Amino acid sequence: MIRRPISSLTRISLGILSVVCLLTWYSWLSHRQHIANPNDTTIPNWTQLTEGVKKTVTWNERTEERWLTDDAKATVIRLFSGLGIAVAGACLLGIGMGCLTPMEAFFHPPLSFLAKIPATAVLAVFMALVGLGMEMYITMIVFGILPSMAISVYQAVKEFPEELQYKAYTLGASHMEVIWTIIFPQVLPKLIDATRLMIGPAMVYLIAAEMLFGDVGFGYRIRIQSKLLSMNVVYPYLALLAGFGFIMDYMLKVFQRKISPWFEARH
Amino acid sequence: MTDKQTPQLALHCQSVSHWFGSKKVLYDVNLKIERGQFVSLVGPSGCGKSTLLRAIVGTHLPRKGNILVHSKEEGATPAPVTGPGRDRGIVYQHYSLFPFLTALENVAIGLKLDETNIPFRTFRWFAWRKLRKQHLKLAAEYLDRVKLGDAMHLYPHEMSGGMRQRVAIAQALVMKPEIILLDEPFGALDEATREELQRALLLLYAENKTALKQGEVPPFTLIIVTHELNEAIYVGDRLIGLSQYWDWQGEQLTESPGASIVYDVPSPVFDPDATRDFEIFEEQRDAVRNEVFDPNGKKPRIPVEA
Repeated sequence: MIRRPISSLTRISLGILSVVCLLTWYSWLSHRQHIANPNDTTIPNWTQLTEGVKKTVTWNERTEERWLTDDAKATVIRLFSGLGIAVAGACLLGIGMGCLTPMEAFFHPPLSFLAKIPATAVLAVFMALVGLGMEMYITMIVFGILPSMAISVYQAVKEFPEELQYKAYTLGASHMEVIWTIIFPQVLPKLIDATRLMIGPAMVYLIAAEMLFGDVGFGYRIRIQSKLLSMNVVYPYLALLAGFGFIMDYMLKVFQRKISPWFEARH
Repeated sequence: MTDKQTPQLALHCQSVSHWFGSKKVLYDVNLKIERGQFVSLVGPSGCGKSTLLRAIVGTHLPRKGNILVHSKEEGATPAPVTGPGRDRGIVYQHYSLFPFLTALENVAIGLKLDETNIPFRTFRWFAWRKLRKQHLKLAAEYLDRVKLGDAMHLYPHEMSGGMRQRVAIAQALVMKPEIILLDEPFGALDEATREELQRALLLLYAENKTALKQGEVPPFTLIIVTHELNEAIYVGDRLIGLSQYWDWQGEQLTESPGASIVYDVPSPVFDPDATRDFEIFEEQRDAVRNEVFDPNGKKPRIPVEA
């Protein structure tokens, strides 16, 4: 029988086993590589990895920098500024388009067109238009995720049954009240879902921009250290990025459950 | 009845006609509904029952004619329907509740929307908190009235279809509208639940009767659109048949002009506690079938009263 239920003990054991397998496989691979070439850095062993991590967290007197904190600070500020502007803009545009037909007619065609352009391909244009500073990273993220997010918010508003809108009017609501008190709470959990889906792409766009033009940040460090074949710095950075994405996703899920307890159970 | 008052008007449809392109739907519908009446609206499918109801709600205004809502207050001029408004409550068959609110909040939201606005709730937060408590208390009373005192904190997805419709009725009642419109409200429910909810409506009718006995204005006026004849006769005290099958040739028209009112007869009112016996409906049921639902019907429509 397919999809046969298993006990939670079995489930957890299998999960642990898969991680152990992965680590064993990596250790074996690294071991083999070091037998062939004792100075290898492409598949660092655990000692090399520890050294790499140490290198990222120690203060460098000469260059006056600590890689991990400097990079994390730069990347996180860029990411959240971009995400914040994109989410707020998508929310305003999406709800506006869903509620006001002239806005729908004006914004929908360009947005559905822009949503199809890969943001990374437009990078050079942004550099020419807004320079190499913070603005470029923000523009990159906003351009990359705002159009498709605005469209998903717009669709969420469109899915809202007309009957409920009429009912709100028979209960004495003004137009503004219908938008704010009736439509917004229904769209909010879907906005959170859209944000969760967009964290991945936002990171892709940001890392790409940092790799090309950055002088600090996760993308920059990964590019430089990859060139030097210092994989003992690159791999921990990749693990950190994965962990960051995972935690963000989890926190948004918890936030959604807290703020819209009705939403998940309904589906 | 100690005090024979002249019945007050609650709703007045004046020569309402509607069509979609070349498809004629309603023709010269004239209807006066008195305060306290429970009107059942029946008719063959496609006769425009829902079109008429939507015209009264104000979401889809008729092409011709006026609909006036009369206020309970003395001396107030009747208000023409120009869009959905708080003087007419509505209970739909589907999407009857806001999914993001609990039963209690769903009932209280009308009070919130009607009595407050966004600036008040933002800038006079303490006053709003105080008012909110009163709203929730009143909402709880209305939920008790539809026997949902135990389900106040459930979300719509946690309720059965029958419970949802009860909450929807309380949601409309709490606003004390001039008239409540029900659009096939129990159409999606099973027979037993349907019967319970019909009884709940008859309880409201009983309150009307008590008010009349005391010489007061009856509090509830209601139009229920249904395709179930037994329900129509059981719940309403006046049965109106809307039909596209009538003697329009008799009015010198060359093609069918759409549906008009062909049947308007009082129907017996039942005690909510009495056992239901559909046998006694039989005579009226047959009459309605012949005069409203028969595609070959050639009955003249109900003449407009002066």
